[in-house]
Amino acid sequence: MTKIGVNLTKSYAEINEKIKNGDVVVVTAEEMIKIVEEKGIKVAAEEIDVVTTGTFGPMCSSGAFLNFGHSDPPIKFEHLWLNDVHAYHGNAAVDCYIGVTRLADKSPFMYGGGHVIEDLVSGKPIKLRGVSSTTDCYPLGEIDTEFTIDDLNQAILCNPRNAYQRYACAVNSTDKTIYTYMGKLLPNFGNGHFSGAGSLNPICNDPDYEIIGIGTRIFLGGGIGYVIGEGTQHNPTKRYGTLFLKGDLKQMTPEYLRGVHYEKYGTSMFCGVGIPIPILNEGLARKTAIKNDDIITEVIDYGVPRRDKPILKQTNYKELYSGSLEINGKKVKCSSLSSLFYARKIANELKKWIQEGMFFLNPPAERLPTDTIFKPMKVTAELKFVKDLKKEAIICYEDCDIKVVAEKIIKQNMNHIIITNREKLLVGIVTSFDITKAIAEDKNELKDIITKKVITTMDNDPIEIAARKMKINNISALPVIDDNNKVVGIISSEELM
Amino acid sequence: MTIINVTLPFGLISKVNDYSTIINEILKYDIIFNILKFSTSSSGINLLLDIPEEEIATITESLKKNNIIVNKKGRITIDLEKCIDCGACVSLCPTDALSMGGVEENNQLEFIEDKCIGCLLCIDSCPRHAIEENK
Ligand code: SF4
Ligand code: SF4
Repeated sequence: MTKIGVNLTKSYAEINEKIKNGDVVVVTAEEMIKIVEEKGIKVAAEEIDVVTTGTFGPMCSSGAFLNFGHSDPPIKFEHLWLNDVHAYHGNAAVDCYIGVTRLADKSPFMYGGGHVIEDLVSGKPIKLRGVSSTTDCYPLGEIDTEFTIDDLNQAILCNPRNAYQRYACAVNSTDKTIYTYMGKLLPNFGNGHFSGAGSLNPICNDPDYEIIGIGTRIFLGGGIGYVIGEGTQHNPTKRYGTLFLKGDLKQMTPEYLRGVHYEKYGTSMFCGVGIPIPILNEGLARKTAIKNDDIITEVIDYGVPRRDKPILKQTNYKELYSGSLEINGKKVKCSSLSSLFYARKIANELKKWIQEGMFFLNPPAERLPTDTIFKPMKVTAELKFVKDLKKEAIICYEDCDIKVVAEKIIKQNMNHIIITNREKLLVGIVTSFDITKAIAEDKNELKDIITKKVITTMDNDPIEIAARKMKINNISALPVIDDNNKVVGIISSEELM
Repeated sequence: MTIINVTLPFGLISKVNDYSTIINEILKYDIIFNILKFSTSSSGINLLLDIPEEEIATITESLKKNNIIVNKKGRITIDLEKCIDCGACVSLCPTDALSMGGVEENNQLEFIEDKCIGCLLCIDSCPRHAIEENK
């Protein structure tokens, strides 16, 4: 850990004095790179007082605490909805927390908690519906009303995990388009998505948490906010630091709090965060000159729906921002999910606030942990794999007579017959329905009724993944194959029950 | 290779297999090409094809002769009021119709309609519903 106070060239008080006098020197983290390049660290540390950072991207772990005041007669909410989005109520009578990923009950995926917060900050009226089981002190059972942010006692943005230090770049190796929290990923490495703000990212500019700590005053959603702790899943040892932030929603602007919806994934909210880094010593001058090339991250295959996804290669933000990267010799187009344009705007806005004497810097009350790790969930149920539950597949060769297939279906009481070639390599699948249909339509050739595009699974897939494949494809069984497309069994929805 | 987007309008379709008109037309030229995407939309059957650069002109002409629409322009509109310049749509675009410019640039979304081939891949990638299909 770096000790505060080593090579101290300036103090917070000195910097704040300069802010008050209007002669503070503030630059953005991008501008700092050039200054250090031209003048060197020593001179930069003397000349520059504050470096501003910024980031503007989807931050799912965000939400707001709201307090409505009491109705007459009073109500203690058991459930409540804001514009049809269920808010969390597990506090006192008229407090609630609206989380950005909560989907509206009636038009889910189009509207969610993030949109409620954007509408609230925009001053739009919000519909409130609440129900209660009633008590002696809170006799009202139901309420339907409308309010704006001005009617609330408190509206506090409180985000348990924001401003990730870096993101991996997500790609998709499968043969289908997938829709993830990293956006729409085209098959066969058709594109890549990353997030973050590279050299403008707050934590990247203070990787040892010298100045970002509990109580640090920051730019949040267009207003003033504070760091109130390390974020959940804070993982500084792997350079995946995160921050816990709060701020008064009433001071914020909708420009920096935007509800978003990712197709087939859900809603979230773009949240604008900017943190000023006072250049107290030469070390901070060096760290705030970090370049996109220095921010190393990984390219990860989101086609594998497991916790530990395969890492395909290392990359850095310079390559990512170039718009394409190379994977297995193929040029893959990549783009950011978060906005560099707005990240810059935030860093510049914060710079202006400081220059105009509207924003002062303060040392943290406590430092954030620099040695925590991110543990996986403790799951008591043992993970079951396809190999544990699969059955022996009933196999017919592709040149087999339909009648033989029909006989096997009856004799073995199996709904699915797997069709292979003589080497047991998968050719297709036939169901009892296909056979019935063939008879009705007077078809005799197996090849006319085979389903050739078969959805398959493998021995080491967790059964939940096999179950989801059946669900989204609306089928009831999957042939189990090995790496060479050889059939090694079958798993059906019955086994999963 | 260059990507083209071809549409067989519904008016010309009588059987399911009619989309093969498109393929048969191209097969006449004995070239290697990839079918990147097959889909149906309100206007007809769409194919996204990857074709050698030098054959584009000939093939486009030959498809058009059969009333097959190539690279239909003006299929999308971007509502810049809704757009937050995130860039999520950019990597979906098979041409450079959507771009953010390099890091040195302004980094606001730029849409060059002339380069758009109307594949509609970008539409459902936008978290702000800022990209709409023109009806
Ligand atoms: S429809 Fe969208 S993705 Fe397709 S070419 Fe046009 S801009 Fe690009
Ligand atoms: S994905 Fe939507 S919001 Fe993002 S840059 Fe494209 S059009 Fe704009």
